[in-house]
Amino acid sequence: MLTMALYISNQAGLRYLAGDISGGNARCIAMLEAFQESIKDYSTPPEKALIRDLTAKINCYVSFLIECRPLSISMGNAIRFLKTRIVKLPLTLSESEAKATLLSDIDRFINEKIILADKVIVRHAVTKIRDGDVLLTYGSSSAVEMICLHAHDIGKQFRVVVVDSRPKLEGRLLLHRLVRKGITCTYTHINAVSYIMHEVNRVFLGASSVLSNGTVYSRVGTACVAMVAHQFHVPVLICCEAYKFYERVQLDSICSNELGDPDAISKVPGRKEINYLDDWANRENLQLLNLIYDATPSDYVSMIITDYGMIPPTSVPVIVREYRKEHLWI
Amino acid sequence: MWYRSASFILDKQQEENDAEGKPESRLLSTASPSSSMADTLQNPNPQISAYYQTRAAHHGVVTTDWLAQAQAAVGRDPDDGVSEISIISTDSGKQLSVIDEFNNWRKQPDLAEAVAAIRALAWVIRSSEATTMMELEIELKKASDSLKSWDTTSISLTAGCDLFMRYVTRTSALEYEDFNSAKSRLLERAEKFGEISYKARKIIAMLSQDFIFDGCTILVHGFSRVVLEVLKTASQSRKLFRVLCTEGRPDRTGLRLSNELAKLDVPVKLLIDSAVAYSMDEVDMIFVGADGVVESGGIINMMGTYQIALVAKSMNKPVYVAAESYKFARLYPLDQKDMVPALRPIDFGVPIPSKVEVETSARDYTPPQYLTLLFTDLGVLTPSVVSDELIQLYL
Repeated sequence: MLTMALYISNQAGLRYLAGDISGGNARCIAMLEAFQESIKDYSTPPEKALIRDLTAKINCYVSFLIECRPLSISMGNAIRFLKTRIVKLPLTLSESEAKATLLSDIDRFINEKIILADKVIVRHAVTKIRDGDVLLTYGSSSAVEMICLHAHDIGKQFRVVVVDSRPKLEGRLLLHRLVRKGITCTYTHINAVSYIMHEVNRVFLGASSVLSNGTVYSRVGTACVAMVAHQFHVPVLICCEAYKFYERVQLDSICSNELGDPDAISKVPGRKEINYLDDWANRENLQLLNLIYDATPSDYVSMIITDYGMIPPTSVPVIVREYRKEHLWI
Repeated sequence: MWYRSASFILDKQQEENDAEGKPESRLLSTASPSSSMADTLQNPNPQISAYYQTRAAHHGVVTTDWLAQAQAAVGRDPDDGVSEISIISTDSGKQLSVIDEFNNWRKQPDLAEAVAAIRALAWVIRSSEATTMMELEIELKKASDSLKSWDTTSISLTAGCDLFMRYVTRTSALEYEDFNSAKSRLLERAEKFGEISYKARKIIAMLSQDFIFDGCTILVHGFSRVVLEVLKTASQSRKLFRVLCTEGRPDRTGLRLSNELAKLDVPVKLLIDSAVAYSMDEVDMIFVGADGVVESGGIINMMGTYQIALVAKSMNKPVYVAAESYKFARLYPLDQKDMVPALRPIDFGVPIPSKVEVETSARDYTPPQYLTLLFTDLGVLTPSVVSDELIQLYL
């Protein structure tokens, strides 16, 4: 038990805490791989059933992960997948067979639902990029990065506007990767988005999750970019794997959001002269709000590109329903 | 002076010429025999949308000028025209003849394009020498691909091919022990499709009756067989209503619709296309057909539909779309230019200086937020349900 907990903590938990792994897919894959390691080392204690005991173990790891950082919706879905797989294991299987089945199930999930899904998304999305287009993206989405790189590889002529924001400045990483590949880029902060929008043809955004009412749950600032794009009649395309879809409905950004480190917004590194908020923690009448996610209403979304093709935001519940069915028999 | 159809007359002349030159060539030629396989599979004149040409031929009222222009266009194209074809027995010959078969069916004005495509594919099954389901499937796939690439502008052609392929792949040979029974089952299905198409129009007409009330004024745009059926059924059930028909430039499909309605004793008023906003205040609802219903729930239809929908939206008038479910296509245009361009010649009546550019696109895309309801043979749907139906069909 101790070794397993160590695996989890080494593999994923501590790295979350340090912020090493970011991005929904990377976190989810890291978590699943940690689960794989712990399943490999698992042996059923005497007088216990594998199904029950392993489920309890998984629950234990999950609560540890939650302590490190709240789970993303994609991770929640992956955990649910694993648990249904454990529960559905035939009782006749021996322990080693059961473990092998679970390991291959997790591999399949990573391959089909994340890696292949991304490839399909890229294939769909490049059809919407025309020569001479100006694309805009916000933050750093792995799917959008793959789309840009693939479109560049197949010889499309386009320019990318990378919009970024404090405090994470994730866009710089994306910018770095795109520029290195020779893609023409413009880098700007979200303050200038209303200025830059008039020259943009398409907005590509990633998502942490898409909820049943078509609301896109994504990095804070996405809603703002989508709203400006909508106002300028620029189509907003959300790139999101179907395993991140969630049957819950959310109307605003505050409930079930995640709070970031308040110091991250109170301090500006390298600018001592404007750090007026250094002693903010001692003030009773001041609270800092550093939200991690926000909710984009479906009105601002023109299209969601998933591994099931290009769908309008109103069709998310259909995918969730069909996907559920598949969940049960995978 | 008006002719029934320009291209019809051209076709006839061609056929006569063909008959004189080579009596054994039974089909209208579309490609020269000398060109390579890649060429033969191409639409002879990709500049002009075959789909809209056919529609114009079936439903349009055409002037002498247009006829002369079309004649000139045919004369100018060396590949096109009266050259005879020899059906080669190779693979390319087979694909070519699928297109011929399709073109044969397509000429029937009452037959929907998707049905023509499915009949052509049925012909492929019938004449196929395949002995396994897999072979047949591959052969069909090739045929449908060549059909689709022959006229990329026709949405219902693509949708029809996809739908039939979907059926073939879903009806796996496993269900039928014997290949021949599976094959005949497929043929049966293809035959049935024609009936379904006719039946779909009847169903749509019945569904829409609840929405047409006595004393209402309906604006229609373009000539749609489904919309005509809707209005016909309404007049037969003794509803009192008035129809405003747009002219439907450049092929004047609205004129033809107004002729048909006048025959039914429905009061009709003709508008020029630019008078839509002017007349909108007296309109109670708008009825349009669709060339294709796309995944967003929007429609692709004859040029002018989008602006009518915009005007209707701003004046809070409902826009109803009548479309058979086989027009549902797995397409998702983001804006007007995000489609395969479908061009057609436009006659302005006066010579246009060569420096002046002419917008010759034949269709536009109406986004779902401007549509109220879609009447289909699957029922009365809101635009967002279209994607749900498509997902269930194709996933």
